[in-house]
Amino acid sequence: MRGSDDYSKAVSNHYKQLMEYCKINQERLDRELPPPREDLNDLLAERGVSRRDFIKWTSVMTSLLMLPPMFRPALATAAENFSRLPIAWLHFAECTGCTEAFLRTSYPNVADIVLETISLEYHETVMAAAGHQAEQNLEKCMADFKKKFVCVIEGALPRGLNGQYLRLGPKGKTAIQIAKEVTRSAAATVCIGACACYGNIQAAKPNPTDAAGISKVLGISTVNIAGCPPNAVNFVGTLLHYLMFGGMPPLDSIGRPIWAYGQRIHDVCERRSHYDAGEFVEEWGDDGAKKGWCLYNVGCKGPYTFANCGKVRFNDSVSWPVMSGHGCIGCTEPGFWDTMAPLEKPIHEASIGGGERTVDNIGLVLTGLTAAGVAAHAVASAIRHKGKDEEEKHD
Amino acid sequence: MEIRPVKEWSAAIMINHWAMALSIFVLIVTGFYIADPYTIYQGETVDKFFVGNMRYVHILFGIFLLFIFIWRLYLAFFSKFHADWKDFFAWLDFECTWDQIKFYLLIKKDPPEHCALYGPMQSLAYSGLFFMIFVILVTGLILMGAGYHAGMTAFLYKIFKPVENMLGGLAIVRYVHHIFTWLFILFIIVHVYMAFWYDAILKEGTVSSMISGVLFEKEGK
Repeated sequence: MRGSDDYSKAVSNHYKQLMEYCKINQERLDRELPPPREDLNDLLAERGVSRRDFIKWTSVMTSLLMLPPMFRPALATAAENFSRLPIAWLHFAECTGCTEAFLRTSYPNVADIVLETISLEYHETVMAAAGHQAEQNLEKCMADFKKKFVCVIEGALPRGLNGQYLRLGPKGKTAIQIAKEVTRSAAATVCIGACACYGNIQAAKPNPTDAAGISKVLGISTVNIAGCPPNAVNFVGTLLHYLMFGGMPPLDSIGRPIWAYGQRIHDVCERRSHYDAGEFVEEWGDDGAKKGWCLYNVGCKGPYTFANCGKVRFNDSVSWPVMSGHGCIGCTEPGFWDTMAPLEKPIHEASIGGGERTVDNIGLVLTGLTAAGVAAHAVASAIRHKGKDEEEKHD
Repeated sequence: MEIRPVKEWSAAIMINHWAMALSIFVLIVTGFYIADPYTIYQGETVDKFFVGNMRYVHILFGIFLLFIFIWRLYLAFFSKFHADWKDFFAWLDFECTWDQIKFYLLIKKDPPEHCALYGPMQSLAYSGLFFMIFVILVTGLILMGAGYHAGMTAFLYKIFKPVENMLGGLAIVRYVHHIFTWLFILFIIVHVYMAFWYDAILKEGTVSSMISGVLFEKEGK
């Protein structure tokens, strides 16, 4: 057992170092960041969230961020500091659904209240300023908090016509210009939603505006909070990690935080046992649907999708799509929409070239044609090579 | 006219051939079930593990196929009987290839003289098969690695993760895996037919050669 002792010693040393790093970093942020705009504790009391509930929430968030319990106080400090982090929130080609999803929670939990204290220097949907005044706010943010503010981007960038499909603001700059300017002076860029991450519906075929995700267009690395819409917890947790360690959490190979997008929906699904047993919902409202069986045959894309929806759920952890009886649509994956179509059938039943042809139809037809061709060749060979044996005997 | 038996295949190649054939057959059957599973209505959920078992068999034979493929590549380069890697490029002799096509299209009655182990079209088909096996193994290992996070699977998944990103996610990987299954079915039809056709036309015992290892060549012709 000596080996395991060494291992646990190494792990605890690692976390002790991380804790030191966290303390140094939080002191640095204390010096650099502006004073808090709102007092989180007052706000929590106002909303009827007790101190005890808040502490409970810090435990949950700490474990979600894959940190041991000793980081709870640091996380509480980070949550209190949340309103000190200046944020410029840009909207490009999108539906504002992500903002709506964050704003319109009917029973806000602690994460939502923390999110409410967010210090938005610029946010097109919720800001009071308009026109040149709004533009000044953004410029002021970029000047005052150079390399200190976080740029949050919601929406894809249309590249067609030199970016002229999307012009914004009183100066009529293209979205690409704005994105370049702001991300250049930001400390980090966080992409909210599938559009900003990978293009989503705007980038779906035939993609007339040639839209694509932020990192692809600008060639920068971004933190991708994927989803359509993503969970507020994933956004808040990522920023809390920034407030604790001064950097973004570890990302997977396509820019998504591993703590939130490290596991596959299918592997942590509550209906997984029915999948392994071979119990499937064959059509909406059948017996299987009433019994909560696996939704694979009605198009669940859980096997191809990495996200924590099944664990953190939506709307104050009330439910999530698979729990409510519809399959996952794979909205956190790159190429979502095109690659996940059709949403309510398994992937191999996607139609090819319009109409109803699927890959299996084409495969069956090709198999039939091959068999027919082989049979025809056999008959033709029999005629052509007839009497060959006799010839050879004469030789 | 004399008939002379010639040893064509080593025992290793024959075992490899039938092991591969068995694996591919099992993988196609279980693969189509996994792609489009039907519901098992009888019995309690706790007593059933049908899809789980099907996936187990599929993954097991997939790993068999991986090692059989590696073994086949080894034989192609280091076989003591006949390392045949050069024979896969027999199609580069275009004149011979053209004659072979004419023979297949029944324009010519006799096949061209083969200078390699495989005929030119045969070499092209087998190169294609090796490519198909490679693609289906890589996509299969990616799909397997997405769900298992230990041992060799995890190691290979790390290597192939860029391939997954390049293709654009697991959904496309799975679609490619599905398409290539159909290519295997087409290959099997043509391959089995051509074996019997050769047997019928040239009467050298092509079909039995994969069991006995012996082809019968006619001398004095």
